[in-house]
Amino acid sequence: MTYFMLAIFTLLIGGLTSLFFKEKLKLKICTIFSGIASILALPSAIKSIINGEIIQSSYTFSSFYGTVNFVIDPLSAFFIIVISIMSFLGLIYANGYLKPYIEANKSVSSHCFFLMLLIASMLGVVTVQNGLFFLVIWELMSLSSFFLVIFEGEKKEVRIAGIKYLVYMHLSVLFLISLFAILTSTTNSLSFTDYATILNKNTHIANIAFILGFLGFGIKAGFVPFHNWLPDAHPAAPSHVSGIMSGIMIKTGIYGILRLISMIGVPTKSLAYFVLVLALLTLLYGVLYAITQHDLKRLLAYSSIENIGIMGLGIAIGMIGLAYSNPVVATFGFAGGVLHIFNHSIFKELLFFAAGNTYLKTHTKNIETLGGLIKKMPHTGLLFIVGSIAICGLPPFNGFISEILIYAGMLLGVPSSEINLFIMLVISIASLAMVGTMAIVCFSKATGITFLGEARSDHAKLVNSDVDRIMLFPMTILAILALSIGLSPQAFIKLIWGPVSMLANSPEMLVIFDSIRNFLQILSWIFVAFLVVLITVYIIRQKINKNNITHSTWGCGYDRPNSHMQYTPSSFDNLFVSTLKPLFKRVSHIKKPKDLFPKDAYFELEIEDIEEAYIVEPIIKLDEKFLAKFERIQSGNMQQYILFGLIFLVLAIIGLMIFG
Amino acid sequence: MLITILNILILFVAPFILLGILKKTKAFWAGRKGVNILQPLWDFVRLMKKDTVYSKTTSWVFKFMPIISFSSIAFASLFVPLANGKAILDIPFGFIVFAYILGLGKFFSIISALDTGSSFEGMGASREACFSTIVEPAFFIMMASACALSQNYSFESLKTILAHAGIYGYLIIILSALTLFIMLLVESCRVPVDDPTTHLELTMIHEVMILDNSGSDLGFITWGAGIKMFLFEALIANLIIPQGMSDYATMIMFLAIVILLSIIIGTVESALARFRMTHVFEFIFIMTLTALLILALVTYRIYGN
Repeated sequence: MTYFMLAIFTLLIGGLTSLFFKEKLKLKICTIFSGIASILALPSAIKSIINGEIIQSSYTFSSFYGTVNFVIDPLSAFFIIVISIMSFLGLIYANGYLKPYIEANKSVSSHCFFLMLLIASMLGVVTVQNGLFFLVIWELMSLSSFFLVIFEGEKKEVRIAGIKYLVYMHLSVLFLISLFAILTSTTNSLSFTDYATILNKNTHIANIAFILGFLGFGIKAGFVPFHNWLPDAHPAAPSHVSGIMSGIMIKTGIYGILRLISMIGVPTKSLAYFVLVLALLTLLYGVLYAITQHDLKRLLAYSSIENIGIMGLGIAIGMIGLAYSNPVVATFGFAGGVLHIFNHSIFKELLFFAAGNTYLKTHTKNIETLGGLIKKMPHTGLLFIVGSIAICGLPPFNGFISEILIYAGMLLGVPSSEINLFIMLVISIASLAMVGTMAIVCFSKATGITFLGEARSDHAKLVNSDVDRIMLFPMTILAILALSIGLSPQAFIKLIWGPVSMLANSPEMLVIFDSIRNFLQILSWIFVAFLVVLITVYIIRQKINKNNITHSTWGCGYDRPNSHMQYTPSSFDNLFVSTLKPLFKRVSHIKKPKDLFPKDAYFELEIEDIEEAYIVEPIIKLDEKFLAKFERIQSGNMQQYILFGLIFLVLAIIGLMIFG
Repeated sequence: MLITILNILILFVAPFILLGILKKTKAFWAGRKGVNILQPLWDFVRLMKKDTVYSKTTSWVFKFMPIISFSSIAFASLFVPLANGKAILDIPFGFIVFAYILGLGKFFSIISALDTGSSFEGMGASREACFSTIVEPAFFIMMASACALSQNYSFESLKTILAHAGIYGYLIIILSALTLFIMLLVESCRVPVDDPTTHLELTMIHEVMILDNSGSDLGFITWGAGIKMFLFEALIANLIIPQGMSDYATMIMFLAIVILLSIIIGTVESALARFRMTHVFEFIFIMTLTALLILALVTYRIYGN
């Protein structure tokens, strides 16, 4: 445990030390310190996850807070492992990504500091078990990530996205404060162990607490309808920050939900259905909008929402298993959900980094202007394709493993259940299948339009080389991780036994684990066999196919094809969008060609988030209308403000005299 | 052992003969004499001997696609119960692996179409991608219902519908067969969803995605497409074949059903014209409807009374 606390301090010290060095060295210092912190944090986490140990250390600051416990149990340990690995890789990548910014004399000192603070606070959030300290560290995490998002704060859209992010995060804190307030007022304690006792006993409080907690943590995780900050914040932030935020930070929301479940023990059926419905909404909504996006990072942000939905689905299936006391279903559901947390952090970081590479080289995120990058950036292209296959859940990569576990949980729950559960589960199965194919639409578009074909503009044409090796190195590690989890899931599944057995607590656990491992063992053989078949077919093809001729693409008899004839992303998803018209708000900007010799004309189609357009914006308008009534008192006159302060003080004193 | 070898032989050769039968049927309805039944096989052999032309625009993705597409289909066939009514690899949740491995092939065929930079191929890719989003959920609803009936989580559950569903079994089988038949039409691109023999690139789906493939690459793709069609026919056959017959009797019955299905597809192709692209969606939604009907019947069977 001391090593773990040392890791947190190493991160903070690293952030502070970097302030005293030259701009060029700052990130290197941070990377080294983060590496040391990972090495310090990992042993205790791995020990806890393998032996199921609970490692604890308590600190007493003042009698008011009570004792502050930092606890590493298997659930925290799992998150510590994910955070340590992914944040270290993110920092290595940042070394290359920020280089052009440093060369252009942009200061990175505050960025480095807040990056380290973010990692430290994430490690703190998943271990601290004191209500008040949890909130403080949670707030530190939100604030430090806010400063990371507004790295390019001189751009207006970045500032707007940053403020939106800040507002959403404080909405989240509002729910969490009320959650901890309720728990503390009923237990007269700030410690999580006391919370667990009351949550376990009193179902009424458990229900209220879970819903408040789900709303608070759900905003962080990006559950629909609280997802709106994600698609704005991710494109605004630099790519390594998007990778870290989407890869690990939003998972602290999932951590909160899992922690609540582990404290509640057996949730009621209605809670399980509540999570299931929101998860289904989230995954369908996320993927629908991901398909329509033309900004690569915005697309990835919506796909994060979809994947949060998949994790939520796994967790919901686990909760259903608990509520209906079916340990097999619970174990499969939680195993799929928890494994998907790890998997998603791997391929989403990979994809965000690849998107960062293209942004760095082409200076645009709009895929309408890209194309043909795979020839100029072969490594980035290959890694993006690997990430796309993994995120679509296609074998033999890691996404498939977690999805098949969730499918298995749902199918196993199907027979022996009530009629409404039966229908819900079959709908969930169909939704997950639909999301799988829609992810294929989304990522075949992202890959095909960005990296394949011909360059659509000078942005893509003028790229001359792939990015530095230091940026490709962490991406390669991520790709290898994705493939190895896909090929030998039975080895990596050990990582999740600890957290899953905490959540789906049952005596038959070991038997179920064995059956899952055997099943994954078979899958592993199957995928290895698949690769063998693939290689055999490849060799046969190479033997047969000796003479190759190169020619231009078939253009229906037209022999001067150019890049403007290619299918654009808008035309690619048009069939889809026009079929599902009511689900999107389409805003088109047209300037029609006029006169005999038309000069300029354009057509631009924008797809707005309906949740934002029809729910969030009307609320904001109402709010503005209401607040406008108080505009009069904002005169800009200092004396007047002091008067207000005075009046308030007098009123407060009178109030105290009357009610006090 | 002998049965397995026979199975694999049928798997790899039957697609050509079935395509030949299909073509012969179409010729019959059109009043033509038609080509030899083995002609698709000879076409394939000739393609394998030809040189390959690659577009200047393409990258390694395009060169890899035929390999991945073919191996994914060939590998997916291991999970489907074939001629003797048994799958070579019968694992629980095999149908999910089947669907997702086919998805891998589909992903590559879509991005390889985009790799050529041709507007026609982008069109085909977009259509292929969109149609599968409706097909897949219906397939999963059908399979989940079948699994719920028999509590068996692989394709085996399709064969035991009658044993578990009693009188409703016949209805469920008919609906399942219809669902799978529409899925077959979509996945192997037959009329009325897609017309493989059309001459206008604008109206094609699958055919237009492989406009630039040639030589042995095209050979692998057509072989794979043939196997895919055979797999769906095999699934339908498994629904119908009664249980408890000897291996060889099953095999003969299986072949008879598969040939009959090819004749039916040929007849459908002769009787119907290709739908307008906007109507194709409506046609595929029939599949969702039948799948939901299966779900309703299964629900009634399990929870009724």
